[in-house]
Amino acid sequence: MLQTISYLYQVADVFAFLVLAAAGLAIIFGMMGIINMAHGEFIAVGAYVTTYSYQAGAPLVLGILLGSAAAGLFGIALERTVVRRFYHRPIDSLVATWGISLIMTQGALLLFGSGAPGVGTPFGSVAVAGGSFSIYRLVLLLIAVLVLAGLYLVFMKTRFGVHARATMQNAAMARSLGVPVDRVYAATFGLGAALAGLAGGLYAPTMTLSPMMGGSFVIEAFVTVVAGGADVLVGTPPAAIVLAVIKATATSFYGQVYGVMGLLVAVCIVVRVLPDGFTGWMTRRST
Amino acid sequence: MTALLQANGLEKRFGGLKAVDGLSLAVEEGELHCLIGPNGAGKSTFFKLILGRYPPTAGTVHFKGEDITKLVAAARVRKGMSVKMQVPGVFPQLPVVQNLTIALQSHFGGSDLPREVERLLAFVDLTRDARKLAGNLSHGQKQWLEIAMAVGVTPTLLLLDEPTAGMSPEETWKTGEMILSLNKGGMTVLVVEHDMAFVRQIAKRVSVLHFGKLFAQGDIDTITNDEAVQEIYLGKGHHAH
Amino acid sequence: MKNLLSLVNGPQTFGQGRTFWSAALLLLVAALFFPLFVSNYTVGNVAFFAVWVFMALGLSLIWGYGGMLSFGQTAFFGMAGYSYGVIAINFGQQSNLTFLSLILALVMAGLLALLIGYFMIYGRITGVFVGIVTLSLTLTLATFVNQTAGPEWRIGRARLNGYNGMTRIPPLSIPWVDGKLYFEGTAFYFLVLALLVVTYLGLRILVNSRFGNVLVAIRENPDRAELLGYDIRRYQLAAFVIGSTLAGLSGALYTAWGQFIAPASMALPAAAMPIIWVAVGGRKDLTATMVGTLLVLWLFQSLIVISQQYALIFIGALLLVTILFTPGGYLVWLMEHWQAYTERRRERAVPLPSGRPVAEGAAE
Repeated sequence: MLQTISYLYQVADVFAFLVLAAAGLAIIFGMMGIINMAHGEFIAVGAYVTTYSYQAGAPLVLGILLGSAAAGLFGIALERTVVRRFYHRPIDSLVATWGISLIMTQGALLLFGSGAPGVGTPFGSVAVAGGSFSIYRLVLLLIAVLVLAGLYLVFMKTRFGVHARATMQNAAMARSLGVPVDRVYAATFGLGAALAGLAGGLYAPTMTLSPMMGGSFVIEAFVTVVAGGADVLVGTPPAAIVLAVIKATATSFYGQVYGVMGLLVAVCIVVRVLPDGFTGWMTRRST
Repeated sequence: MTALLQANGLEKRFGGLKAVDGLSLAVEEGELHCLIGPNGAGKSTFFKLILGRYPPTAGTVHFKGEDITKLVAAARVRKGMSVKMQVPGVFPQLPVVQNLTIALQSHFGGSDLPREVERLLAFVDLTRDARKLAGNLSHGQKQWLEIAMAVGVTPTLLLLDEPTAGMSPEETWKTGEMILSLNKGGMTVLVVEHDMAFVRQIAKRVSVLHFGKLFAQGDIDTITNDEAVQEIYLGKGHHAH
Repeated sequence: MKNLLSLVNGPQTFGQGRTFWSAALLLLVAALFFPLFVSNYTVGNVAFFAVWVFMALGLSLIWGYGGMLSFGQTAFFGMAGYSYGVIAINFGQQSNLTFLSLILALVMAGLLALLIGYFMIYGRITGVFVGIVTLSLTLTLATFVNQTAGPEWRIGRARLNGYNGMTRIPPLSIPWVDGKLYFEGTAFYFLVLALLVVTYLGLRILVNSRFGNVLVAIRENPDRAELLGYDIRRYQLAAFVIGSTLAGLSGALYTAWGQFIAPASMALPAAAMPIIWVAVGGRKDLTATMVGTLLVLWLFQSLIVISQQYALIFIGALLLVTILFTPGGYLVWLMEHWQAYTERRRERAVPLPSGRPVAEGAAE
């Protein structure tokens, strides 16, 4: 019994992590066709701002929101200056954002040093069926679901969402219909960065702070986005579920390392079998 | 005598839609055969089935007497087909002369290769632009470059999908003359076309497609004067000029 | 000589005239006499630089000429490095067959490349997904080897040693008059130089041949290439295997020189380095890649003495600036403009019998 609950808990935990880590990246990839290699650094921005705010006395929730906002603003600034030249050039954008990532991580290393004391994980743990499970991580699961629901509302029910989806389908057409495409791009990139910052802030209490910390998220985020495909609403959730199961299973049998390897191998298989990710599979099924 | 190209009962289904529906068509050696029909008649789909872009849901394709239904496009090209698709397909970052060299290098060797390239450049009037990057040519010139590439391999069957798309009337006329001279030299040509003036210029034999089926067939005058054909283009109650 | 020139010159490489080849020859002579003027230590260091060039040239072939962004170079680097280590430790030392170990290491890298290449290319994985799949596989390999620290992880007498890396690998040696000639310092330098010359010329011949023509055609418009009757997958796979095996050559030489190989050579940020060298210099041209790689490496090494952070920030900035302004590579940009300049000069200088110069299509 404990084993089952433990396993389900693990799957849920990984699912939450994948969704939160990948949501921002998926939106940017789906909208602008670029691969943001600086995604891990946006996460780090969120984590750092959250931690410093908390240590300055702010309540954790506020700290997390600040972290998310900071990352979002930083993202918009970056988009306006650099990223906008690379739309729909996935390889060039990959290389360019890689450069940005290098500058950010190494710059942070220079400024902040290699580590900083983190925040402790709040809420403690709950005992179930003889095992002890962190409540905070269950809260994160709830937040992950809320994020997905929130994204659904934004993209389906708001004017921005309509503009965004139009731009995603056909930017030239949208522009000629009066959609402020440049602002949509900037806002979307900012949203993607803010979500990354949110993930950083949310997980900051569970990790040590370091300028390289984005790296712990990046593999999972990329794998989820590639497997999910361009649509964060249709593709990311099923991809996250499938990958969470794979990772949890591999981890419980063989350990953390094989968990990560399992993901990496899974992405290769998905790319081979479902070239458009789960997005393609789901949309094809509905025709 | 067996036709050079024989399509038998070709069918292609996309989901619930039958784009090509039991189409049988023969192209004899030396013919200049035009395929026309209103939008959505299945011309493009049929063209791609002949080329081998995707397999048919039913039916067969025979080329030079051989069943090529299961062969991929590259293999069919190696058997003696050559194709020019609707959108100009050149190698944009390579110079014009290299585009042709690549097309011809598996058919000509040594000093024959540059000579053939020269000849083809003259044929499509691109000698002056030989060193230009193919991507910098005008639309019409790109089409001609691709025709030169398709023709230079001296194919047995030349397949052209709307070769004059996007061309000016002068360029269209010139293209027509090019195709006529190729056909006079013995090349079999199958052309999918929209432009009726162009079809008039070049066609000997015309097949009309409609709803994925062969609707009418004959020489150009019979077809244009056929009321049923006029109707499918213009709707009932209309007549062409 | 004329025949060799006609083979190494061609549409896919810049630098074909007499000036270029004279300069190249001069550089080669300088390189040959270089060890006379500097210490053995410096010579060894320079050779170490040059070792990375094979990996860069390989990536140029795969990405610049073949149009496939492969993040896998360091995977093959590591594969060959570890293979050399394993074979040399087990068999090399005693039987004086370290060179055979080198060759077998290349074969191993080549086989891995064949496997991965086949999976990707015949699985119709294209564009940026090639990068993603190769990156994933590289990271998987690195992650796996990283945790092989325990004593049970061994092949024969060679312990994999996890993140600490495999040590005590015998250097390259051949039987010599009085025992053994070890390829360290100057001897290693000449070996690498020789291999570099052969590789460079060999690749030039390859990319300017009919094979090379088809390869760049596939890069430009794979569909059209296919409709000309070419089996594009075979060409892509060939380019991928050759380019990846070159990365293996870098790996094997690196391992033989330092007598050491670790998973850090495969993981990030090492995996990104070849991309950066090749992107900055110019992936579409072999010479640009070679010179660009050496330049960036030299800059990096000079800066890393000050601080690793500054060095990496510089690299990041260099990458960004290059992609923003000269996305094809800085050196390629220079070469293209130089070529345009010389062509314009030639055009203007063609006189009519009347003596007036007239613009004419540049003859070559």
